[in-house]
Order: sequence, then C-alpha cells, then structure tokens
Amino acid sequence: MIVERKSHSTFDNKKDSHKEKGLETMKTSMWSFKLSTASLVLIPAAVGINYIGKMIAGFLKLPLWLDAIGTVLAAMIGGPVVGALSGAINNIIYGLTLDPISFAYAFTSLFLGLAVGAMAYKGWIENAGKALIVGLVAVLVASVVSTPINIIFWGGQTGNVWGDSLYAALIAHHFPVWLSSFLDEWVVDVPDKIITVFIGYLIFRGLPKTFLQQFDRQNHTDVL
Amino acid sequence: MSLYVDRPSVIHRLDPLTKLCYIAAAVTVPFICPVKSVALLVAAVTYILLAAGRVVTKVLPLLGFVAPVLLSIFIIQGMFMPDNHALVFRIGPLYFYKEGLSYAALLSLRVIGILGAFSLLVLTTKPSDLIQALMEKGLPPEIGYVLNAVLQIIPQMANALQRITDAQRARGLETDGRLLDRIKAFFPLIGPVVMNAFVETKDRAMALEVRAFNSKTKRTFLHVRKKHPADVALRIMCLAAIILAVVWRLVG
Amino acid sequence: MSIIKAEALRYKYPMQDELALDHLSFSIDKGEFIGIIGENGAGKSTLCQALNGLVPHFHKGAYGGTVTVAGKTVHETSVGELSTIVGMVFENPVVQITGAKLTVYEEIAFGLENLGLPRSTIIERVDEAIELLNLAEVRDKSPFALSGGQMQRVAIAGMIAMRPEIMIFDEPTSQLDPQGATEVFEAIETLSRNGVTVLVVSHQMERLARHADRIMLMHGGRLVAFDTPERLFAMDFSGISVRRPVYTEIVRTVQKAGGISAETVPVTLEGAAEWLVKHRG
Ligand SMILES: Nc1ncnc2c1ncn2[C@@H]1O[C@H](COP(=O)(O)OP(=O)(O)OP(=O)(O)O)[C@@H](O)[C@H]1O
Ligand SMILES: [Mg+2]
Repeated sequence: MIVERKSHSTFDNKKDSHKEKGLETMKTSMWSFKLSTASLVLIPAAVGINYIGKMIAGFLKLPLWLDAIGTVLAAMIGGPVVGALSGAINNIIYGLTLDPISFAYAFTSLFLGLAVGAMAYKGWIENAGKALIVGLVAVLVASVVSTPINIIFWGGQTGNVWGDSLYAALIAHHFPVWLSSFLDEWVVDVPDKIITVFIGYLIFRGLPKTFLQQFDRQNHTDVL
Repeated sequence: MSLYVDRPSVIHRLDPLTKLCYIAAAVTVPFICPVKSVALLVAAVTYILLAAGRVVTKVLPLLGFVAPVLLSIFIIQGMFMPDNHALVFRIGPLYFYKEGLSYAALLSLRVIGILGAFSLLVLTTKPSDLIQALMEKGLPPEIGYVLNAVLQIIPQMANALQRITDAQRARGLETDGRLLDRIKAFFPLIGPVVMNAFVETKDRAMALEVRAFNSKTKRTFLHVRKKHPADVALRIMCLAAIILAVVWRLVG
Repeated sequence: MSIIKAEALRYKYPMQDELALDHLSFSIDKGEFIGIIGENGAGKSTLCQALNGLVPHFHKGAYGGTVTVAGKTVHETSVGELSTIVGMVFENPVVQITGAKLTVYEEIAFGLENLGLPRSTIIERVDEAIELLNLAEVRDKSPFALSGGQMQRVAIAGMIAMRPEIMIFDEPTSQLDPQGATEVFEAIETLSRNGVTVLVVSHQMERLARHADRIMLMHGGRLVAFDTPERLFAMDFSGISVRRPVYTEIVRTVQKAGGISAETVPVTLEGAAEWLVKHRG
C-alpha cells in the first residue's frame, strides 16, 4: 500500500540527460498513493484538529459534533488519499483511546475524506456556494456508508433522538428498513456535515499560499 | 492517551495480533449464526476473558455509553418492527411484541459482545505495542509513524487549546450565552489551534526526512516484543470458531 | 582534502522569480569548522539544505550546478541516503521531536531504526550519543517534557547517532535562552574536536568567530566572502550590513581613528586585548 518507497530523487540518474531534460510539467494523479512526507505529517494534525473541534463544540454546548473539521481540511489541502487516511486513522485512534464503537464508523470517515478531497481537487471549493454543494455530497456519502453499519449494529437506528423518532414513524408505516435508516442518518448528518465542510472551507480560505504550495502535486525539479 | 489499563494478567501478555484474531472471530461468528444463543455464548466468552484480564469493570462505562441506544432499540423494534404479531405486554397505549423484542435482544447481545471484544484489545494492549505488531506484519512504517504521532499530538493540542481558551476568555470572548454568540466564539478558538498545527508541518517533515524517514530498508525495532506460548494455539482456535460457524450455517 | 564541493550551484524555490542560491562555488575540507553568516533572507538556510538534499528533493523548484558531499552528488542521492553523511539540526527544537516516541532514548534511536541497523548497533550508538551530549538524566523522560536546550541536544544526539561526517546547524540557538545556547555550542565544539566537519549558521558572532576556521558571508543568494574570521571581519562591505564580534568592532574603531588599515583583525577577547596592548599609543 501507500507511500513513497523509492528514492526522492526525480532527476534522471544519468547526468547528461539531466542537462537536456528542460522544463516539464508532470503532475502526479490525485489518486496517487505516493504521499510526500509533508502530506503524511498533515494527518496527525488533522486528527488533532478533529478532536479539538469536538472539544470546542462540547465546551460551547453547540448542538453539533463538528468532529471532522480536520479530516475535511486535510482532504482540501492534501487531496482524497490524505483525506481518506485522515478519516480512517481518526476513527481507529478514537477506537483505541476513547470509544471502541468508533472503529465501526472508520469507513464513514474514510469516504467523507475521499469525497471532499476529490471534489476539492476538481475545483469545488472555489467559492462558498460550491462549498455548500461539497457539504451536501459529504452528507450523501456519509449517510450511504453509515446506513449499512447502522443496520448491522443497531437495526438501523443512529442513537439520535430526532432521527430515531423519524425512523420509528417510518418503520411503523412499513417503509423499508434501509430507507428509514437512511433518512434517520440523513437527519443526523445534514446540519453537522454541511456546517463542518463549510467551516473547513472558511479555514482553508484563510491558509497562507506558501503553506498550500508545498502540497502541490508537482513531483519534479526543473533544471536551471 | 489511551484506555489501556496496566494489570498483571495473561491477557495483557498475549500478542496484540492474537487479540485482533479474537475480535475477528467475535465479530463474524454472531453474524454468521444470527441466533441469540450464539450471540450470548460469544458475549459470555468475551466477558470471561475480560475478567481474566482483570478489566471487566473498565468496560462498564463503555457499556453505559451504548445503554440508552440499546434501550431505544427495545422500544422502537418492540413496538414498530414490521414483523410484529405476538403481543407480549402493553403499557397504556404502548404495545410491545415478541418478534421486535427478540430482534432487539439479538442486536443488543451482539453489540455487547462486539464492544467487549474490542475492549479486550483496547484495555489490555498498549497502543504502541499494537502499532509495532502491525508494522512487523507489514503495515507501512510511515502509517505506523502517523498512528504513533496522533497518540502524542492529541494531548499536546488539548493543552494548546486550554491556553488559547484562557487567553481568549481573558480578552472577553463570550463562551456561554446565546447560540449565535457561542457559534461566533468557535472560530477564535479553533483558528489558532489549526494554524499552530499546520505551521509546523513543513519543518517537521524536513526534520523527519533528515532522519531517513523515507528510507527503503526494513525498519529495526528497538523494542523486542515477547511472544506468549499460547498465541498460536489461540489464533487457531479463533479461526476454528469461524469455520465452525460457517459449517453450522451451511448445515443448519 | 575537500569533503564538500559546490560548483555553480543555483536554485530557485517553486513559484519564485529570484534565485535563492546564485552561482555558488566553494569547497570545504574535512574537519573544518565553518560559520555561515548573512542578513535575513540571504540564503543561509537554503544553502544548508542544498548540502543535505532537501534542496532540491524536498523543495523541488529549479536547480542547476552540482554539489558533492563525501563523493556523492546531492541531486542524484536521496535525502535518506545523504542523512548518513550530512546531519542537520534546525532552529526550532520542538518540530525536531518526531512525536512518535515516548522517551528520549527511543527518540534518539528513531533515525537508526529507519536505517534498519542491527539492534545491538542501535543501542551502542544511542548510549554513546547520550553520553556525548550529556543526556543521561533525561533518557527516560518524554521528549516533550524537556527544556529547549535539552530538546536541541536530543535533536543533535539523534543526528550524530547516525554517524554523519558532516553536521550542519541552522541557527541552533536562536530560540534558546543563554543557558541553552551555551549547552548547544559546547556540544558543537565537542563534535568538532571529534573530527566532524561542522557548519554553523548563527548570529552569535563572538562564538562563531572563536570557533570557526572560516566564515561564509552570504547576501542575496550569493557568496560574498569566504575566509578566515580574522580576514573576513577586516574587510569592508558596501551595501551589506555585517555584524562583527564586539571585540573586533573595538579594534576597528581604534584602527579607523588611527588611520590604520589591516588585512586581519583580532576576533576574540584575548586577541583584541593583545592587539590593543601592542598598539598602545
Ligand atoms: N520554502 C520557500 N519557498 C519560497 N521561498 C523561500 C522558501 N524558503 C525561503 N525562501 C526565500 O528564499 C530566500 C532565502 O531564504 P533563506 O531562508 O535561505 O534565508 P536565510 O539566510 O536562512 O534567512 P534567515 O536569517 O531569515 O533564516 C528568501 O528570499 C526567502 O524568502
Ligand atoms: Mg534561515
């Protein structure tokens, strides 16, 4: 899996060709698993920010979790692979240190980071309007991935009072479990994920260019 | 930062990978055999092992977390599950049915068992040992580094947040009051933490690279992990349990 | 015998118009103690990073010329491989803590684990580094629980355990209190005495002048002068502000007043005192 194992040198090993190579504009695909050290170091920071976001939301008694801001930011900065890794590692670490249930939702976080990273890479965080759409897609992805997990573990519930009331009403009227569960999750995710992505977008906009430049997927050195 | 509880027990001395095998068995078996008796058996074995690890009391707070959800499952499934036919009891206008309650019981037993199995790993294993065990089995060292670093960065950042909160409060930041004020307070609190975390990334990346972080050679581990004689046998038993469950399913 | 050799080295950071390193050519002998000075933005850090491969491999950008260290061509050798030849200590102590290790001892072993050295070698080298940098009493502490000076010594220990022939220090004391700075300079001196080729970027001219065999003065990405402290601090530079050791400044003030021009100036307290005694009246 993952990560650069080859030498960092992108120069040709033969000295002569180095002279002739001239300027090139080779870019690594956004799906590349070869992560630079700078991108890897972003992941612990992202998980830390998730944790801090959750702490602040709790401290300010906000009716939201806001526990994925770091994942969203890492995805915007480093692309889908960094986003996905940040998400998955976030839940693994939470599982190890705070709440074993969070292991189960590692896939939700993984796909959240993946989706936001891919959309950011395709230019969907240029303005606030587009960022809201990224938020909606994030909700969709999160609920599609969470629903089967919820059904397997909890018979389709989420543990959220409002969502579960809707769920109860729906199954009482013989709606299929998957749909009831999906809508239950949707109720839970809509405000939280949209706001999380939007906060991520606002912070991203404020980051200095020199910082962002190092994650540019330029993987070569020009010859002077 | 971890849920690890240091106790002198056999379970603590087992290889983390053996405990991962146990989780694999404890999660899959109750799903392969979706009956209450199997879920109960798995949960019972798990809690006996937790008792052997002398950490059973530490699972209670974790169970406390899921208790309200489990209770709501009994209520919702007991009353509204589409298959409900046989009335068991009623409380005023609320009718509870056998099918729903039975399904809720199955779900609860599974959740309690799975939570116990994960707790068995988490409560009796140092995170760094688990990470090293995985690296020895081929987890890329870069990912191993990231996992270890996360465990250290979270307390560091929590400290930083504390300092920032104090400073912002001293400057008159409104942290309780109307919802809008509290929402507004979110940014001055998270902003500096984010900046601190990101500003350092470039320098840290360089500092790692000059210490051969990108080296292609196989890593050495300074710590030698002790193997327990029971590890192999236990892993085989976990595998056997899964195979048995599959056979049970196919035959029964 | 030269251990570092740069020929027409030039380098531009990504998306930057100006050269951060502008046709640098020089050579450094094995065992030399080199000081690097210059104003902010002169290119000192960039030069340091061009010697251990961070320029160009980490920063990318545009690169020309060649640098060889101990026979390896930098732009053709990975940073990891160069790390066993050139060690580097940065300004900020905290970011050099890997963050993945629980004790100072493990922290120092990090690079050696990455190199895949045998366990016994690692233990031997870490013990030696701890001894050399006087870290015995903190070896089982968390690296985050240390003072700045201690952290910086842990960073040095982590590097020298990798047994580089060359050690580069980029403003290693500028974030430390005087006590920490003294600790670090003593450590650098020890390395130099043990035959390691040392390059130090610092604004502490008195310390630099005392220890350095030669000093590089950089400005705008160019190497303006590269000479012994006694000769370099005797030169006049127009348009570049050069801070000299205070002892040198005293002597130069006396020289100017007396209309004396000299090829060399004393750069230490003892040297200055001797000069003043000799030129009494
Ligand atoms: N990562 C970077 N990207 C773009 N430009 C950079 C980068 N790092 C440094 N520069 C620029 O390159 C030039 C040389 O910088 P360098 O850091 O080498 O100077 P310095 O002599 O070390 O200065 P200081 O005393 O402030 O540390 C400066 O103009 C600086 O702005
Ligand atoms: Mg510098």
